[in-house]
Amino acid sequence: MRRPAKTCPVCESGVRVVDYKDDRSLSRFTTERGKILPSRLSGMCSRHQRQLGEAIKRARYLALLPFIKAYGR
Amino acid sequence: MPRRYEIVYIFDSALEEEQVKGLLARFHGLLATPEKPEPVTQSNHWGKRTLAYPIKRRETGYYVIEQFETEPRLLAEFERAVKLEESVIRYLLVLNEGEAPRPAAVARPFGETEEDAGEGEE
Repeated sequence: MRRPAKTCPVCESGVRVVDYKDDRSLSRFTTERGKILPSRLSGMCSRHQRQLGEAIKRARYLALLPFIKAYGR
Repeated sequence: MPRRYEIVYIFDSALEEEQVKGLLARFHGLLATPEKPEPVTQSNHWGKRTLAYPIKRRETGYYVIEQFETEPRLLAEFERAVKLEESVIRYLLVLNEGEAPRPAAVARPFGETEEDAGEGEE
């Protein structure tokens, strides 16, 4: 039994480039501690997974996303 | 050859809106070229926002996002000015090539041509 291939959430939404300013949608692809989800879990195609990594890192630099969620709590 | 860039500034939230506008006007002056006296194509004030983590003991920042077109050689002086300005607590300057002004690329099937578009960045 093979599972049907997962489809990339970015391709499906029709967005061309992952935007680093959209912290809400980016945070969907982080763990509860703020790590970037691997493509195995995010279901992204490799191109969008690369863009996602870059976008999340930029968003972290701009303090839109935390480097570590709930740090020191 | 002029290129398109995008910059996000995070200003000190203690600043008045007028002061922010004054600073931005000064920065814009550094980007202007004879061919393009008005370099900024898009300006978007997000306003005050809580930072995801404190920067220099500050919990909030005033975000401004701008897109502009200028000669790369002007950027050194521009970035120097932005870095020296203490009320800019952080900024991010990235290339914005082939992303914003492309109304023609509406529903092109995925993975056809334009592979490299939108990946031009620094």
